[in-house]
Amino acid sequence: MTANLTQQIRDRARDLLQSGTVSCFIAWEPARFEHWRTPVTIESPDEVDRIVVDEWCDQLIAKYALQRRGDGRIGMVARGCESRAVERLVADRQVSRQDVYLVGVGCTGMLDRDGGAPLKKCEECQRRNPVTYDEMVGETVEEPRPYRFGEVDRIESMEPEQRRAFFDRMFSQCAMCFACRNVCPACNCRSCFADAERVGWLEKDFGLDASRYWGLMRAFHTGDRCIECGECERACPMGLPLMTLMHKQVRDIDRLFGPYEGGGLSDAGPDPLRSYRTDDVEEFM
Amino acid sequence: MRIGVFVCHCGSNIAGTVDVERVAREALKLPGVVFSDTNKYTCSAPGQESVCSAIKENALDRVVIASCSPRMHEATFRKMIAEKTDLNPYMLEIANIREQCSWVHKDREQGTRKACDLVAMAVAKVSCDRELFTTNLPVERRALVIGGGIAGIQAALDIADAGFPVTLVERESSIGGKMVMLDKTFPTMDCSACICTPKMSEAAENPNIEIKSLTEVESVSGYIGSFDVTLREKAKYVDYDVCTGCGLCETKCPTKKIPSEFNQGLSTRTAIYKPFPQAVPSKPTIDAEHCKKLQSGKCGVCEKVCPTGAIRYDDVDRVTTQRYGAIVVASGYELIDWTGLYGEYGAGRYPDVITGLQFERIVNASGPTEGHILRPSDRTEPKTTVIVKCVGSRDPNKGVSYCSRACCMYAAKHAHQYLDKVPDGTCYVFYMDVRCAGKGYDEFYMRTLQDGAIYVRGRVSKIYPEGDGLVCMGEDTLSGEIVRVKADMVVLETAMVPSRGSDVLASKLNVQRGPEGFFTEAHPKLRPVETNTAGVYLAGVAQGPKDIPDTVAQAGAVASKVIGLFARGQIESNPMLSKVDVSRCSGCRACVDVCPYGALGLVQANLRENSRKVTRTVCQVNEGLCQGCGACSVACRSGALDLLGFSDEGIMQEVEMLCQ
Ligand SMILES: Cc1cc2nc3c(=O)[nH]c(=O)nc-3n(C[C@H](O)[C@H](O)[C@H](O)COP(=O)(O)OP(=O)(O)OC[C@H]3O[C@@H](n4cnc5c(N)ncnc54)[C@H](O)[C@@H]3O)c2cc1C
Ligand code: SF4
Repeated sequence: MTANLTQQIRDRARDLLQSGTVSCFIAWEPARFEHWRTPVTIESPDEVDRIVVDEWCDQLIAKYALQRRGDGRIGMVARGCESRAVERLVADRQVSRQDVYLVGVGCTGMLDRDGGAPLKKCEECQRRNPVTYDEMVGETVEEPRPYRFGEVDRIESMEPEQRRAFFDRMFSQCAMCFACRNVCPACNCRSCFADAERVGWLEKDFGLDASRYWGLMRAFHTGDRCIECGECERACPMGLPLMTLMHKQVRDIDRLFGPYEGGGLSDAGPDPLRSYRTDDVEEFM
Repeated sequence: MRIGVFVCHCGSNIAGTVDVERVAREALKLPGVVFSDTNKYTCSAPGQESVCSAIKENALDRVVIASCSPRMHEATFRKMIAEKTDLNPYMLEIANIREQCSWVHKDREQGTRKACDLVAMAVAKVSCDRELFTTNLPVERRALVIGGGIAGIQAALDIADAGFPVTLVERESSIGGKMVMLDKTFPTMDCSACICTPKMSEAAENPNIEIKSLTEVESVSGYIGSFDVTLREKAKYVDYDVCTGCGLCETKCPTKKIPSEFNQGLSTRTAIYKPFPQAVPSKPTIDAEHCKKLQSGKCGVCEKVCPTGAIRYDDVDRVTTQRYGAIVVASGYELIDWTGLYGEYGAGRYPDVITGLQFERIVNASGPTEGHILRPSDRTEPKTTVIVKCVGSRDPNKGVSYCSRACCMYAAKHAHQYLDKVPDGTCYVFYMDVRCAGKGYDEFYMRTLQDGAIYVRGRVSKIYPEGDGLVCMGEDTLSGEIVRVKADMVVLETAMVPSRGSDVLASKLNVQRGPEGFFTEAHPKLRPVETNTAGVYLAGVAQGPKDIPDTVAQAGAVASKVIGLFARGQIESNPMLSKVDVSRCSGCRACVDVCPYGALGLVQANLRENSRKVTRTVCQVNEGLCQGCGACSVACRSGALDLLGFSDEGIMQEVEMLCQ
């Protein structure tokens, strides 16, 4: 990312707010410590100097659009992941595309706020450039499209007991904090099954059964809609490898139903796991 | 809560493996259960009587009956509760301790314990049950029949004879389907046209039947009792109110070289034409693609010669919408296009390799050869004819995997007809099996053998030209020898496949098709003419390959279902439908995409949320269309959709109980 990107974005945000094109502008601002960034929603042209856009902006900001629904057009910096998240929200009918104004930027990956190593989610990134935008700031960047199924290959090659042990270990550490859900752009339901107390899908106590159930249900609920932004894994305070399950599903769906990229990216119709087609061959019936 | 549990002996069916008395005693310990009893046969009159009086005497408000599968008697017991007690009939759960317990277990102890568990689950579920109420939906007493083959004609006649109006929609210019193209029909060898055309004119004359030729279904909405159907009637370019069907136009039309569909390309027709003399409606249409006037503006002969001035070159398609209470799908079949699949049979390059349907036309007295068996290439009489069965059928590699069912019989018919008309001829029939199950069918096959037909067991692997004939090569699998037969003509008995456009029709009607593409019946044995969409029925080959007797029988069965529906005049709605909790619905549309019945839609709703007025998109269930399949309640991630009678809560309670 170029050094003057921050300035360019501030200028664009100021113009957009001043001209009334957008009612607010979502980006990042510096947080308490060096290299810490936090999402910010800028409401007036005078505040645009709070914005920074650099290699430390590790959070995905697109989901904040949901909080501003109905308040006019929402401006936003859009890297590949933000743009896909917006497409996701549009496909899930949570915002309409006209309700957001995307200032696209090409992204070469973010760094870990502790230590400065490249973030894993960025190393696996398939879309560094926005897939949709209303204007671009700066140049588009190269798309290396790295192989992202290495961990899936490794787990697939395990013996069943080994695999079970792997996931049991993973889920037994889950603190059931639901951070993965809260950051996920595909988790945009008004009320989550996990909170349905009357039916009681999910117990309120801790334990492997509950956390395994939570983990698997979360994966299934987002499986055919995952945009592979890797936010769940980044947000997880326990550092669980949550993307392995997502990547596994992405690849399986790809193989079963044809090329696929996080739903929402194509107009080809509904997401693969929630469609009904009369030409589906119902061999099992 | 006052739950009563009734455990059935079912004679020794259940009591033989399950200690029903113990199940009843154990049930009394379950939360909410205040009464339990056993019965020899709960479904019998005294059994029902004792349940009803126990409900009244003990003021029960929920009932569990532990007996056979709910498929068997749930409806019986619901009706009993509705008619003989004050209880709501949906406060009932059936614990299946027969099919799912006593019948599959031998050990009495295990069986009894499992029965106790099943009862406990039903008790848990009934605790969550809520009263449900049915409503009566009106039925429009008018039927739509799609497809005017013998299936559609028969169904239309039967429904019309009961006094109900029928619209018979046929996309070709005449009704009759494949049957009018056939010469004679097995096994009685009565002339096909002689039994089919009277039915066609009967349909035309029946005041309750409206025949719409050159018409297709454009769209369908609604549900059983009130389907709104839009039909597109293609331009005919002839005003049927004025035309008398004199046929003068056909004789004068200068465009004469169009291959006749009716004669399977073996003769030609004009651009203004009736497909065959006995066509119904008995009036011509202009084939716009070939008409000189419509293509280039030059000609207009038919208009000049028409004595009544019925020609309308400016005719346009007519689109109409009508409400129907029931829809019959009788769209029939096509023959598989063998030319694209069987290169080894010449892929259509040899004119003397013909299909069974072409043979029907050749052997027919009013066909292109006036009933003389002459082969297409040089119009000479073939002295050796080879009939190849199962072309495309039972051949999963090239064609379809199923058996087309009628061809064994009509192959025998063709052999018989050929040997009858060419007494000095030789006829070989290559076959895989001979399947002649049916009244008089095997006798018919035996007679063909006596006629002198030579049956060779094996597939023909290659057909190639030699001199002015063809050589059929194949293995006789009974002797293991390779046989080469020099033939003058080869008849391929090709597979029946669903008629073109069946996929589109299926999605318009929201009915399922099987892997082979034929429409799927609701139950292969017990509901053979219904589909999973209430109010849509199946007749004829549209449902699967069959011959004329089976087709007509099925058409009659369909008619009786439709007449039954119309006689009732209204239908009781099923209250076990999907229900949406809008406060949880985020309007994501997953349910809409997954619903097989098109019963869900998105609407803008004005709601009060957190004491604010908001307008949001939420989903809405069309109760007429919903069949209660539950797909949406599974697809909905936030559980905004629930199936009444099978609520998430109830199922969860069942599972909880089982895990205790
Ligand atoms: C060569 C041959 C010989 C046979 N010989 C005998 C025999 O001797 N005895 C016997 O019992 N059986 C015989 N059969 C079988 C017989 O043809 C069928 O059983 C019978 O014709 C089935 O009738 P149907 O009405 O179901 O279908 P069809 O006759 O195919 O009629 C379907 C009709 O629906 C119309 N249609 C299709 N789709 C639509 C649409 N979307 N909208 C409007 N209209 C539509 C079609 O144009 C057609 O007119 C023979 C079959 C063949 C191929
Ligand atoms: S009916 Fe006879 S000829 Fe036709 S597919 Fe079945 S087995 Fe083959």
